[in-house]
Amino acid sequence: MRRWLKPLRVAIALVFLGVLTAAFLDFRGLVPARLAHAFAAVQIGPAALAATAGAVLGGVALAVILVVTLLFGRVYCSVICPLGILQDVIARLRHRRSRVLRFSAGNKLLRYGVLAGALLAVGLGATGAAFTLLDPYSHFGRIVATLGRSALVFGNNALVPVAQALGGQAIYRVPPPAPSLGLVLFALGAAITVTALALWRSRIYCNTVCPVGTALGLLSRASAFRLTIDQTACTKCTDCLRACKAQCIDLRTGDIDASRCVSCANCLGACQHGGIAYRFAWRRTPRAPDSQRRAFVASALLLPPLAALPSAAPKPRRAPVAPPGAQNVDRLLDRCTGCQLCVTACPTQVLQPSVFDYGWFGFAKPHLDFGRAFCNFDCLRCGEVCPTGAITPLALADKRLTSVGTAKFERSRCIVETDGTDCAACSEHCPTKAVNTVPFRDNLRLPEVKEDLCIGCGACEFACPVRPQRAITVTARATHTRAAKAVEAKPQLPKPVGDFPF
Amino acid sequence: MKTSRRDFLKTGLALAATVSAGRFTRALAADAPAAPRTILAAVRDGSRTAMLDRALAELGGLGQFVHPGQTVLIKPNIGWDVAPDLGANTHPELVGHLVKLCRDAGAKSVSVFDHTCDQWQRCYANSGIEPAVREAGGIVVTGDDHALYRTVEIPRGVKLKSAEVHQLVLDSEVFINVPVLKHHSGSLMTGAAKNLMGVVWDRRFYHRNDLHQCIADFLTFRKPDLNIVDAYHPMVRNGPRGRAADDVVELRSLLASTDIVAVDTAAARLLSQNPADIRHIGLAAAHGVGTSNLDSLDIRRVKLA
Repeated sequence: MRRWLKPLRVAIALVFLGVLTAAFLDFRGLVPARLAHAFAAVQIGPAALAATAGAVLGGVALAVILVVTLLFGRVYCSVICPLGILQDVIARLRHRRSRVLRFSAGNKLLRYGVLAGALLAVGLGATGAAFTLLDPYSHFGRIVATLGRSALVFGNNALVPVAQALGGQAIYRVPPPAPSLGLVLFALGAAITVTALALWRSRIYCNTVCPVGTALGLLSRASAFRLTIDQTACTKCTDCLRACKAQCIDLRTGDIDASRCVSCANCLGACQHGGIAYRFAWRRTPRAPDSQRRAFVASALLLPPLAALPSAAPKPRRAPVAPPGAQNVDRLLDRCTGCQLCVTACPTQVLQPSVFDYGWFGFAKPHLDFGRAFCNFDCLRCGEVCPTGAITPLALADKRLTSVGTAKFERSRCIVETDGTDCAACSEHCPTKAVNTVPFRDNLRLPEVKEDLCIGCGACEFACPVRPQRAITVTARATHTRAAKAVEAKPQLPKPVGDFPF
Repeated sequence: MKTSRRDFLKTGLALAATVSAGRFTRALAADAPAAPRTILAAVRDGSRTAMLDRALAELGGLGQFVHPGQTVLIKPNIGWDVAPDLGANTHPELVGHLVKLCRDAGAKSVSVFDHTCDQWQRCYANSGIEPAVREAGGIVVTGDDHALYRTVEIPRGVKLKSAEVHQLVLDSEVFINVPVLKHHSGSLMTGAAKNLMGVVWDRRFYHRNDLHQCIADFLTFRKPDLNIVDAYHPMVRNGPRGRAADDVVELRSLLASTDIVAVDTAAARLLSQNPADIRHIGLAAAHGVGTSNLDSLDIRRVKLA
């Protein structure tokens, strides 16, 4: 067992890392929405959020992760979490086999302080913001989506002229992503932090910063099967220390800190003496007073209340439009972790991450940017991929009637009024014909909005040629509603029937 | 320019035909026409492919337009991300069949593109046109790449003085325009002339600067060599995108002509619209790029059933 456990772990981890990386890099819609969703929805952060909303996959994933942790420790951190696996990849670039990371006691105050802070934020109702800032999967998503995908698109577009010169149609130009500076800096900060920490001390991020790691660590300390050093077999050769990326093996005392062990099984294979093995640990007698638990409780009490923060949020110039399926803005902010999976999946790229459009707590969460594109009438992808249930999947018939905003027509700015020429770009694009044209002076046609039919897709605003301010704009609905469905009789055949009218 | 050579050949052929038919016509009528009138093929009540075959036969065969070794551009309407039954795009069956006919006529390459309104990959796929063209041996090219457009001057344009035009329009030897006929909330009708908005990069410019005039102006730069209007099930309301399959009526018609103004004039009649109301038809006729006087044409009315 000790021989195949690590290769098995590595194989599964690479599948998770590969699929999720592909999903976040995907700029041509090649990764099936279901696949991206499945691999993201079993991540613990999204799973926990989705489970509270009653999602079956999220609930099952959460239960499985917790049970596995209770049985075998932090397998999640080594096998499923893309940020954890990414750190292993980064650490390998430097460490190879030579370097020994000595046992470290770990920074308990920081670890439990972050976890307590996260729990406190959740308790105070800032769930979405806490997950956005701290969930490792979401950090991974932003790093790959914001930095990796942008670089990939840039490279793709640079290759297009070459491909076209060779007569190929396989590579085509895609609109360059334009993530805001705030988001780039945030992702860059996370990338640099994670990379530096991984190069320095391998999994120290997971064991110091990541609240998911800390929470699972608390559970791991009570796990049934634990990696244990057999003192009779151990020669203190330090082979296990070379293999351990969590710095959790204390050879002096012969203990392995279960709360920081990520169950990577490296030490199992490294030990030539059979000195480390999984042992059933639930027979043990109760432990001495628990210093870690005390540190956790103490740090929670020390934390400054986060509740004072939101009042400092800058006022958005215009209320952002939440994607269909979000139901309402508060719900979106509560449930979205800002992972960017919907943003990368959006085929028109109308979905863009906000910086402060929704206020502080809306950082990195998606809104519809009608200056860039409009929401495709028949597209369901954002809801299909969203792992947290922040964007609930809709049936096509529902999506087509979900109203996320209302078009407002400003006649005094319209070309038809100002220039006396036909335009109708707005009504041309409108999929529900909430914007239609009515006869106007001099054989012209003037746009007219039927608000009850409008779903706020933004096609009219996107198409309107009037600048600087457009003549038709979509106003967000804080709570989404259901649009009316137009009913029309079958149109009559033009006369004459069955003959040529000329 | 290549067009002038083609025009020369066409005129030559037409003259030869007139001369050989001269003796016969002189016997029939005292005042024989100096030159043959432009043909407008109007076909009804057949399948799309059968109507296309017949229309082309009336026009003297596709060989009149496509010669072996030539590069051909087919410009359908692929503007919208909707299924074929909504009638917002040219029907894939018609486009596919035309691609095949061009290949059979010996075309070196047959390219198809449109600068779509909805997201282009979805339009290409969901219109059914991309698979149909591929299967028929044509090439599908994106219209959503600014680098593929070149700026051209339009000296005779009133509003549209220059435009960025897709290189396939500028470089292809044969240009076939295959619009779908439908209602339009702004220009009242989308036909052959309106369909050419899809070959320029900046469609917003048209909307901002007198839509009808720009549509007409473009024709002074480049007229398609052949226009084939898919009027099998024209959308008669809620155009140009359409809302439901209910927006189309089954007319089972097809129009084809080298005269883009004539073909749109007839198309307006098919929609029960007065061609005089559709400003770009009149403006195009005023530019002299075609005629809106159907009486001056040789209309071949054919009912297949």
